[in-house]
Amino acid sequence: MNKIVRLKIGRILFAGLILMAFSFPATVIAQPPDVVKKDLLDKGKQVYYKRCVWCHGVEGGGDGPAADRLFTRPRNFIQGTFKIRFTDSGELPLEEDLIRTVTNGLPGSAMPAWGGFLSPDEITAVVQFVKTLVQDRSFDDVEDETVVVQEFGSNPWGTKEPYHLGIPQEAIDQGKEIFIKNKCFECHGGEGRGDGNPTMKDDWGFPIVAADWQQCWNFRGSRRHHFDPFNVVRTVSTGLNGTPMPNFKDQITVEDRWKLAAFVNSLCPRKKIDKLTSKPVPDFLISSLYTEGDIAESIEDPMWKAEDDDPSIRERSEETKENPRKNYIAMAGQITRGKRNFDPKTDNLWVSSRWNAEKNVIYYLVEYHIRFLSSDPEYPDAVALQWPAKLSELFGAEKPYFINGDSKKPVDIWKASFMAQDYNSTNPPSETGYKLDVKVEETIGHGFDAITAKESEPKVKVVDAIFKQGKVSVLFKRELTTEGEFDVQIPSEQFIPVSFLQWSGDDKEKDEHMAISTWYYTILEPPLPDSLYYMPPIMAAVFVCFQGWLVWMTKRTRKMFDDGKSRRDFIPPDL
Amino acid sequence: MNKTFISFIVFVGVLLGFHNVVFPIMDIKEFSWVMNRYVYYLLIPITLIFINIILRLKPPVSLIALMVWVLGFYFYKYVLYPPIPWTLFITYMVMWSIGTFLYVSQDAHTFREFRKPIVKTIIGEYKLARIVVFALLPVLVGWMTYNNIYPAYQEPVELRTVHPAPPATTKVHGKTWTLETARNPYRVDEQDNYKNSFPFLDADKNEYMKNVTQGGSLFFENCHYCHGDQLNGNGMFSHVFNPTPANFIDPGTIAMLRESFIFWRVSKGGPGLPNESTPWSSAMPPWEEHLTTEEIWKIILFEYWYTGWHPRTFDTEESYVGQWEKEGKPAGVH
Repeated sequence: MNKIVRLKIGRILFAGLILMAFSFPATVIAQPPDVVKKDLLDKGKQVYYKRCVWCHGVEGGGDGPAADRLFTRPRNFIQGTFKIRFTDSGELPLEEDLIRTVTNGLPGSAMPAWGGFLSPDEITAVVQFVKTLVQDRSFDDVEDETVVVQEFGSNPWGTKEPYHLGIPQEAIDQGKEIFIKNKCFECHGGEGRGDGNPTMKDDWGFPIVAADWQQCWNFRGSRRHHFDPFNVVRTVSTGLNGTPMPNFKDQITVEDRWKLAAFVNSLCPRKKIDKLTSKPVPDFLISSLYTEGDIAESIEDPMWKAEDDDPSIRERSEETKENPRKNYIAMAGQITRGKRNFDPKTDNLWVSSRWNAEKNVIYYLVEYHIRFLSSDPEYPDAVALQWPAKLSELFGAEKPYFINGDSKKPVDIWKASFMAQDYNSTNPPSETGYKLDVKVEETIGHGFDAITAKESEPKVKVVDAIFKQGKVSVLFKRELTTEGEFDVQIPSEQFIPVSFLQWSGDDKEKDEHMAISTWYYTILEPPLPDSLYYMPPIMAAVFVCFQGWLVWMTKRTRKMFDDGKSRRDFIPPDL
Repeated sequence: MNKTFISFIVFVGVLLGFHNVVFPIMDIKEFSWVMNRYVYYLLIPITLIFINIILRLKPPVSLIALMVWVLGFYFYKYVLYPPIPWTLFITYMVMWSIGTFLYVSQDAHTFREFRKPIVKTIIGEYKLARIVVFALLPVLVGWMTYNNIYPAYQEPVELRTVHPAPPATTKVHGKTWTLETARNPYRVDEQDNYKNSFPFLDADKNEYMKNVTQGGSLFFENCHYCHGDQLNGNGMFSHVFNPTPANFIDPGTIAMLRESFIFWRVSKGGPGLPNESTPWSSAMPPWEEHLTTEEIWKIILFEYWYTGWHPRTFDTEESYVGQWEKEGKPAGVH
C-alpha cells in the first residue's frame, strides 16, 4: 500500500479513536504493527551506517563508539524497546512514533533532531532499517504482535503554542492532588525535580533518573513543543518502555491525566527556547539591583523571591515584581582540559543579585537543580563564581582563560563546598529541606591545573545555603572593594566578566572534573537617576513654549495679511 | 457626512481589510507571478483610487499625503521581504517622507491646500484638533525623554576573528609541521571514490574507509558534544559556549580552509588562538593533550568525508597522494 494512503488511514483511525474515547469509557482497538517496508531497506541501511552507527552501534545494540561517554546511553534496538510511543506499555511503537523521534530528536540527550538534515524519505527509510535491527521480536510478526493506540483526549483548555499559558489554576490544583494520590513524588520528587529515587535502573541495568519537570525543554518526548501538556498526557498514558516509568491508564482517567499534565506543565518556567539546540537562550547579562537599606541575608526572604520565567512571557506576581530576575546560566561538562566531564549532573544555574553602595556589599544568589547530593565528605558538592582577579589590567574584551585562568591573567574563585545535614539520598521528600554545612574557599587560578590558596584575609561569605526538593540555593556575600592582591574589585556601572563552576559530589567530581559556564557579564546597576523625574516635565514645558511661539507667529502673520502690511503669496488662477 | 472623513474611513478600512484578509490569501510560499506579496501591495492603491473615484470623494492634498506616507511605511515595514534592519528602514522612510513632501509642494496650489488644515489647527479654527494636538504632543515629548533617560543595560557586543592567520609552523608531539606544505598523510586517494562506501561495513575492504571509521569513532568519542552528531555545530553542549562551536556543514568553515590549518587549530585549540580570536572563551581543547598526531589527521579525514567538502588546495600544488609511502614520512614534517 502506498505511503500516503497508509498515513491517511492511520490518521482516520486515530481521529476515530479520539472520538471513541469520548463515547466509550475504555476503547481497545488492537491492530497489527506497522510491518517493515522492504523496498526501503537498502536506502535505510545507507543512512544508518553513515549517520546513526556512531552511537547506536553496528548491530543496533546501543554500543557505538560514543555510547560509553553518554548519559543517558543511546537506545539499544535489539529488544524492540522504545520509550516514546502512542501504543500501550510493552508494545512495539507505531512507525509514526519512530519517524517523529528521528525527526524531532530527543531533547536532553545526544540524539539531535534529524528533520531538516535528512529528507522525510531518508527518515522513513532509516526507520525501516532500524525496525530490522530489532532481534527479540518482529514488526512483521502480525500473528503475535498487536499494538493498541492509546486514547489521549484533547487539550480541554485549548491553550496555544509555544508557551501554553492560561490553564485555569483550578485544574492545576486538581492535578496536584492527582500527583500526590498516585505517588508520582516517589520518583519525581516533592516539587518534580526528579530527585525522588537514586537507585533506579533501566531494563539493561544502567542507572536512570526521573525527569525534572521544572526543565521541560529536556523532556525526551517533547517533539520540540516543549511546553505542550500533551507530552505529559502521552507519557502518563503509555509509560516509558525499558524504564521504571509505568503507565497510569487504568489508575487515572483521561480527563484527570490532562489535569495532572496541567500541574506538571505549570512547574516549568517559560523561557525563550533556541530552536536549534532545544535549550533556553542564556541570560548573558546578570544585572545586580541597587537596593537601599539592608539586604536580606536569608534565601527565604521575600526580597529574593522571583519566578524563573522570562518576565516578557509570563508576568511576575505583585510580590516579586520589584525583585531582581533569575538569570539562566547554561552549564556543560568541562571537556577541554585534564580530566574531562562528559556527563555533568547539572545543566544550568539560576543567578540573581543585589548590591548596596553605602554598605559596600554585593550579594549573589546562585541556585541549581541537582537530584542527589553527596554523602561522602571526600567528595562534597560545590559551586563557585569565577572572576578576573586583575580586572583593571584587562584591555577591551580581554578576559582570563575560562577554565581557572591562565599564567598571565589570573582568576579569583569563590568556591562554596557543602554537605547537607542529616541527609540521605533515599530519604522521602522533605518540605523543610536540608541545611548545608558550607566551607568557603577563595583561590587564585593560574591555569586549569594551577590553583593556589589566597594569602590575603578571606572576604567572601556564604550567608545562607539550603538544599530543598532537589534545588541547591547558596547566597554569596562580599564587599565591593577589598585589600587582597588577587581579590576582584567590583566597580558599579561596568560590565564585569563572571563565570560559574559546579561540582557534583554524588558523581565524584572534583578539581577540573566539573561543570562549567562560559564568561557571562554582571553589572551593578546604579539607582535610577534623579533626572528621570525632572527632565521629562522640563522637556514637555519647553515644547509647550515652542507651541505657544508657533501659534503667536502664525496669528501675527495672519494679522499682517489682514492689515495689508504684508501680501499673501500670489497664485495665478487656474487656466 | 464630510467627504474627507469618508475618504479617511475608506482608507483605514481598505488597509485593515487587505492586511488581515487578502494578505494571508495572497502571500503563499510557492513562487507565483500573480499570487505574491508585491502584487498584493499594488492592489491596495488601485483599490483606493478606484473607490475614491467611484464615490467622487476628492480627498484634500493633506489626506492624500497622509495616505501616500502611510502606504510607504506599510510597504517597508510589512510587505518588503526579507525584512530590512531598522537603520535601513529609517533611511528609506526619510527618503519616502522627502518624496511625499516634494509631491505636495510641487506647485503653489497643492502646497497651500496641504498647509491649510495645519494652519487652521494652529490658529484654532479646528478647535478640537488644536486641543488634542497641543495637549498630546508635550506628553509625547515628556514620555520620549523618560524613555531616553531610563537606564538600559545590554551586554556589550564582542567581535572576534573566526579564522585567524595561522603561524608558519606548529610543533605537535615533538615534530615541527610547516603549515604551508603540511599534508594529511591519510589522504591517500581521491575522497569522492568513497562517497558510497560506509564506515564499519567497508572498513575491512580498504585503507581509506578504515581510517574514516577510526576518525569517525574518535570524533564521536570526543568532538560531537560541541560540533554535533550532524557536524553542524549544534552538539548537546554547544549552547553553553560562546563562541559557539564551528559548523562544518557551513561552506565558510572547513570547506574554505586547508587541512594543515585545521590540523593547527585542532592541535592547539582555544588556548593556541591569537588575542583577536578570544582564546579566553573558546572551549576547543588543545587536542594534542588528548589525542595522537595520527588520530588528529584521521578525524580531519573523517570530517571532510562526512560533509563531502574538499579541503582547499592551490592550483600550483603537486598531487601529494601517496607521498608518505614514497618518502617514508608525511609531507611538511622536518
